[in-house]
Amino acid sequence: MMERARELTDGYSTAGAPALEGTGALLRFALRRERVRLVVWVAVGAGLVAAQATASQALYDSPEDLVAYRASVGSNAATIAFGGPPVGLDTVAGTVAFEISAFLLLVAALMALFTTGRLSRGDEEAGRTEQLRATRVGRHAPLLAAVLTAGLACAALVPAVGAAAAATGLPATGSFLLGASAGAVGLVFTGIAAVAAQVTGSTRATYGVVGAVFGVAFALRAVGDVEGTALVWASPLGWAQATHPWSDDRWAPLLLCLGAAAVLLALAVVLLDRRDLGAGLVAPRPGPAAASRALLSPLGLAFRLQRAALLGWTVGLVLLGGVYGALAGSVETLFADNPEARAFLPDAGSLVDAWFATTLATTALLAAGHAVSSVLRARGEEAAGRAEPVLATATGRAAWLGGHGTVALLGSAALLIASGAAAGAVRAAAGGAAEDVGRLLVAALAYLPAVWAVAGLAVALSGLLPRAAATLAWTAVTYVVAATLFASAMDWPAWADDLSPLGWTPTVPAEEWTLRPLAVLTAVAAGLVALGFGAFRRRDLATG
Amino acid sequence: MDTAISIAGLVKTFGATPALDGLDLEVRTGEVHGFLGPNGAGKSTTIRVLLGLLRADAGVVRLFGGDPWADAVALHRRLAYVPGDVTLWPGITGGEAIDLLGRLQGGLDPARRAELLERFALDPRKRARTYSKGNRQKVALVAALASDAELYVLDEPTSGLDPLMEALFQDQVRRLRAQGRTVLLSSHILAEAEALCDRVSIIRHGRTVQSGSLAELRHLTRTTMTVETARPATGLAELPGVHDLRVDDGRVRFDVDSDALDAVVRRLGGFGVRALTSAPPTLEELFLRHYGEDLAADAAEDGPVRTSEAVR
Repeated sequence: MMERARELTDGYSTAGAPALEGTGALLRFALRRERVRLVVWVAVGAGLVAAQATASQALYDSPEDLVAYRASVGSNAATIAFGGPPVGLDTVAGTVAFEISAFLLLVAALMALFTTGRLSRGDEEAGRTEQLRATRVGRHAPLLAAVLTAGLACAALVPAVGAAAAATGLPATGSFLLGASAGAVGLVFTGIAAVAAQVTGSTRATYGVVGAVFGVAFALRAVGDVEGTALVWASPLGWAQATHPWSDDRWAPLLLCLGAAAVLLALAVVLLDRRDLGAGLVAPRPGPAAASRALLSPLGLAFRLQRAALLGWTVGLVLLGGVYGALAGSVETLFADNPEARAFLPDAGSLVDAWFATTLATTALLAAGHAVSSVLRARGEEAAGRAEPVLATATGRAAWLGGHGTVALLGSAALLIASGAAAGAVRAAAGGAAEDVGRLLVAALAYLPAVWAVAGLAVALSGLLPRAAATLAWTAVTYVVAATLFASAMDWPAWADDLSPLGWTPTVPAEEWTLRPLAVLTAVAAGLVALGFGAFRRRDLATG
Repeated sequence: MDTAISIAGLVKTFGATPALDGLDLEVRTGEVHGFLGPNGAGKSTTIRVLLGLLRADAGVVRLFGGDPWADAVALHRRLAYVPGDVTLWPGITGGEAIDLLGRLQGGLDPARRAELLERFALDPRKRARTYSKGNRQKVALVAALASDAELYVLDEPTSGLDPLMEALFQDQVRRLRAQGRTVLLSSHILAEAEALCDRVSIIRHGRTVQSGSLAELRHLTRTTMTVETARPATGLAELPGVHDLRVDDGRVRFDVDSDALDAVVRRLGGFGVRALTSAPPTLEELFLRHYGEDLAADAAEDGPVRTSEAVR
């Protein structure tokens, strides 16, 4: 046997093997498949910046306005934690960078993640890569085409964001630098997604890993910025924001992003060579030969399917809550150094409470995101044809949808409780009072009816408009996020804020609990859920 | 109750495209009923209506005398189902999926489960992500066959199985029939139906075109034979039931009606047969032969579109 093997390899060289063969064709094909999505992503990025630039120039049109802005928003730990380093706030352009860059970077990272993940691991999971690789397509070509597609989209952010910002009248250099910082972060996350797609065995797991990396990068940057430490340099988001568009206009930090992206891509290729097609880096272990009792019900199945995601969200939100709790002390310090800032908040004694109210609202946004993705999991099961065998058993439609609905509603409640308790526990350990744990846990629950209302909308849409449900539900989530974050800063009319259930929610613990709006929201959520169940029981199963 | 399934005048349209266009089907209790039709004829759509997964637009559908849409859960306790395209949860093992589907249907016989796993040579500890199409199908088959049901609805259950597994599957269906269970077996392979079914219904373009026992349909089936003989085979064309005879290069090719086979084989024996292949009639050929005129007519009146396209 060995003899024969030696004979075969003798004089056969693998050097110069065309591993890249077909990359060009695959790239053109990928761009064709993704063209609508990519245009939307880039347009959203450019649109965010244009909207913020227009609004800021209208809002802060005098030097006094900017002084007031620096003293209030620019000195608030909450906004620094979200926005980034408060630099260049003596110009309107600087406030634009401060307010929008974090969102722009998030858009770039998500675009890179979904594009790379779908085109690499997603295609492989669906079996499409196997079919392609059986043709004259090299081993590295599918991954490279995916990375190039995402990379081109990241590159497109530079002119798109730059032109959008410059068109509103902001200086051109900073405009294009902001675009470049977003593109550079996108490239880093393209690389991270490419590596994750090799390590994990499924698209879902790839998204989870990259999402977790983004969360860690965000937390490192937030803590670094609030406490003014070098920790920001541990995060690619910190590198991008160290460019200080429209103030220092530094380009050099972007080299860190480019270098990291190159290293990550090289790593992904090395890992790709070390694994089998269709498999992750870790060989799947055999699982149980029989089901445990916990699995044997619609609810058990729904929980099992969503277990990993729920665990990931819980870890993320507990860490986030902990970071918020830890930063609460810095809030006091910041304001002690900056007495005039107190004038912009109604009650100096509740600075920490105001901080927690703001941060809990953002936790609620994330919990709403989880709730919607959890509800839509039912729709995903239905579309993939996996609802059919279950509904062909003695399982009713209400029981099946109820399983996923229960996981969504109880899961989001658990997320809020865990995050609030974590914030309270860390706060209590770092200078707060012991009762902060219970206080913040209860405060977090004030946001639950609003989260449930958003989840209820997703249930209603899944029942009424199954094929459009995902798009519409995520549009609604985007609206709620925008309303919560921008409604007051951009002077939205009152009705626009009231369209969002978080607009009705008292900002506990800064405000008192008021039961009426919470009862109304709960009733709305219940009504929407009932509507969705009713519609689901009356319609055809919609596969595909 | 001597009728397990009765469907009359079933209509189902997806948007503007009709998938089922007045379909009739009657399955008697205790029989193995073949539900035949080419791809896209409406077999799976009919089964989905029968399971209450799709709602009928018109017509009457009765399952055990009940309404499958209104009483889905109660009726499902009495049946087991194997989908045509088995999709499983990627992270869940085959064994877990079998237990889950079995429990939700009303319970599995653990001894039967173990026996079937062994016979089908299925490793229940693998996650569904790593199963081939045939193994996914085996998971659904084991879950269905290990459960105690009155009716087994099997939608093209052998499309991913190898011939050995197919034979095993046929044993299992015969076993169900011996126990007096009812089986609705959809297929686009006539030979499979011939091997297993008491009666068959043939559908095309969402309508039932033939229904009856296989003996009643025998006139529809025609075997294609290719024969090489020592002496020139003459006089075959004059035999009743022989069609489309061609001679090339010492070989004779012809189609022969099933009830004329015996006479033809006797006649061939006299010429010194050197090689003989016979191909069983395929459903497609049967359709071409017997409903070719319909095809032309359908095309002219812009008839129903294939359901698989309509659904997607």
